Amino acid sequence: MRAIALRFTAAVMAFTFTGSVPAVADGPVTLKVAIVQQIDSMNPFLAVFQSSTEIGRLMYDPLTTYAQDDQRVVEAVAAKWEPSPDKLTWTFTVPGGKKWSDGQPITSRDVAFTYNLMLTNETARTANGSYVANFESVTAPDEQTVVIKTKAPQVTMTALDVPIVPEHKWSSVSDLKNYRNEDFPVVGSGPFILTDHKPGEFIKLKANKDYWRGAPKYDELHFVYFKNSDAAVQALAKGEIDLVNRMAPAQFDSLQGKEGVERNKARGRRFNELLVNPGAQNKSGQFIGDGNPVLRDVRVRRAIAQSIDLESLVKRVSLGYAEIGTGIVPPVFEKYHWEPARRRAFDPAAARAALDAAGYPLRDGTRFSLRLMGRSGRAYDEQASEYIKTSLADVGIRAEVQLVSDDQLNQATTAATYDLAFSGWGANVDPDFILGLHTCAQRPGPDGTGGTTDSYFCDAEYDALYAQQLSEFDEARRIDLVKRMQERFYDQVPSVVLSYENALEAYRGDRFSRFPVQPANGGVIMAQNGVWGYYGAVPALAASSSGGVSGVVIGIAVVAVLVLVSGVLVARRRRVTAEERE
Amino acid sequence: MSVVWERRRTALRSGWREFTAQRSGVAGLVVLGVAVAVAVLGPLLTGASALDVTRVEAAAWEPPGPGHWLGTDHTGRSVALLVLNGTGASMLVGLTAAALSVAIGTLVGIASGHFRGWPASALMRVTDFFLVVPQLVLAIALSAVLPRGLGTIVLAIGLTSWPATARVVRAQTLAVEARPYVERAHALGGGHLHVIAHHVVPAVLPLVLVNTTLAVASSIVSESTLAFLGLGDPTHLSWGTLLHQAQLFGAVSKEAWWFLLPPGLGIMGLVLAFTLVGRALETVINPRLRS
Repeated sequence: MRAIALRFTAAVMAFTFTGSVPAVADGPVTLKVAIVQQIDSMNPFLAVFQSSTEIGRLMYDPLTTYAQDDQRVVEAVAAKWEPSPDKLTWTFTVPGGKKWSDGQPITSRDVAFTYNLMLTNETARTANGSYVANFESVTAPDEQTVVIKTKAPQVTMTALDVPIVPEHKWSSVSDLKNYRNEDFPVVGSGPFILTDHKPGEFIKLKANKDYWRGAPKYDELHFVYFKNSDAAVQALAKGEIDLVNRMAPAQFDSLQGKEGVERNKARGRRFNELLVNPGAQNKSGQFIGDGNPVLRDVRVRRAIAQSIDLESLVKRVSLGYAEIGTGIVPPVFEKYHWEPARRRAFDPAAARAALDAAGYPLRDGTRFSLRLMGRSGRAYDEQASEYIKTSLADVGIRAEVQLVSDDQLNQATTAATYDLAFSGWGANVDPDFILGLHTCAQRPGPDGTGGTTDSYFCDAEYDALYAQQLSEFDEARRIDLVKRMQERFYDQVPSVVLSYENALEAYRGDRFSRFPVQPANGGVIMAQNGVWGYYGAVPALAASSSGGVSGVVIGIAVVAVLVLVSGVLVARRRRVTAEERE
Repeated sequence: MSVVWERRRTALRSGWREFTAQRSGVAGLVVLGVAVAVAVLGPLLTGASALDVTRVEAAAWEPPGPGHWLGTDHTGRSVALLVLNGTGASMLVGLTAAALSVAIGTLVGIASGHFRGWPASALMRVTDFFLVVPQLVLAIALSAVLPRGLGTIVLAIGLTSWPATARVVRAQTLAVEARPYVERAHALGGGHLHVIAHHVVPAVLPLVLVNTTLAVASSIVSESTLAFLGLGDPTHLSWGTLLHQAQLFGAVSKEAWWFLLPPGLGIMGLVLAFTLVGRALETVINPRLRS
């Protein structure tokens, strides 16, 4: 009875949220993907949200991209690239034969146009400005050659995740800031062409049959909006959509054994961390914020890290769908991930002894109090805060949990008005970005603006290593430098990396037999560094759909019955009160 | 003095008789008594470690059965114990928020009923403004700006739900002040304070009492709504917080009805009890409602 009741609710919910009936098998083969996050813009120069950049990648190829199996740099718009001996000039070759979706050839002029637009127009730098910050000039001496000169050597030249747009369409755009890029079908170079977009309802793309790598194996790709991931998961279970990601562990578990549903537990690019305010300073070295000064003592920070049981956090908060945290580069990037020779063991007794030795004795059961901030409504923060509070209490530190809104948390971490705070980042294939977040230069200026420091970490040794790795073109040596940086970070504890979350995805195995994951070993389908998951999806031979219609019919019936019953009740109630009314 | 007390005692006794004559009111009172007992005794009966997420041993999402007669939540804590321990916060917030809202409402209502002219008009325009502002939206805005905590929730509910009380109290104040004996008091030289304290307040008080009882019911629902939306203080256990957690940690996908239903029924029962008591009290003070 309970299951039926819940399924009724689910049916009603799914019905009201999507209002759609599964496609008939005879029509075009369509991959329907659930989307929860809104789209900020279809204009690739303005799109910042993860959802919009992902759709931008489907529409436009970048200069180079990352391979599906091992994430090495491979051909996209450019087929070859060559740095000069002084590493200041890069020459990219755009081979002939690649075409925009309107049939015009893709040439080096399009590439030069895109980058020059970003160099000359500040609005065009909104989304991807950091990639060209170090550029001196971009020229196209002939149809097939792009020459980029940089001010200083830059190792990320083959990681330029900037969509290349067609010059013949975009040169006439005068008001870039308000250009929505929704003249359907939108001319692009990627494996899919944007054909329709209704905010909050759906995004429709069709396969680019002339894509240079070969046409996708199905006809249309639809993104369907859902208000929350619970509704999306229910829709997947009923076969209304084909692919869902970013599921909560409980949702992922609930799909186990569901007929026709395949699950993908992937190693994610994200990690959860607990920031430990190390005595925040701005660029000119003045202390800012109101972090508890005891945390400036590295012995205290180490003791805090020692008192948190990371294993039980992974087991109980993430229900096992995570890996224990160590370095700031997640293990999915095997090359750059650092693993300590001996992990800092969970040891409350040692933490207590260390705090005693550091000169913070117990007084009435507590040594000192710290504020622990997190985002309310975020499942991880709400749950992990309870564990960390008890763990800290065990070593004599009183944690006052404050779960606040997104904005309030952002304000507190930016103004350094926190002691401990939950945070999290997604890392890229190239570790430069995630490492750069913790350099002294990322701290805000004396006026409080600029910089995007994550932890207010400022360490001479770390910064020296960062500068070295940025201009180190020998991969083995760079890997060594990156690992030494993570070791220093782990030792100084400006934040405790708690766990690397698994990316939990599920798809209809009865409609699509295979999705390429990136990397091949335990990778993701959605939110890749590329579009292999969508591009390489293989439809199952006998595509069929069932169950959805009957669910909707039952849903309508239930709604009708409810309306009827409440109508009768209200009518009776009115008659009763009519007599009482004066 | 003793005459006054004698008269009051008689009135109280006859009121109580009126109240007990209504079975629904008595039923509501019994439920309230049980809820208060649970709220006070619940935390005492629960062992220190039973709700500590780091020390529970049961598996997560266990359906009701021996050992956990209402199942377990996402961390393995007993839902039955969670619901018992959530009673106190739900009731506390409901009562204090109602008290705050009725206090503001009574003050504004009496003031605007007693002092005529522009101060009354000004007060009533303010009341009208709060009356038309969507209550939930304002409460959400308030609890988003203020620091998280039970106090914020109380403030958010109290500051948004007083206009109805103000209107009712104002009407009663106007009716009372129109009576001849108030006019006489004025004529004998009674000042504002004397008239309000000795004539208006005693006449308005029964109405305020009923209003409070009914306001508690709606405050409990408001608290649950705000907590469910994630605007409450997640570190304090209340029924709304439980529902919020059930939704956040995937009880719907898990089909874990035992995590969703008990707090919901708890809210329903408590609200119903307050409403029944309030209605019965209303009948006692307003003879026209008697059948």
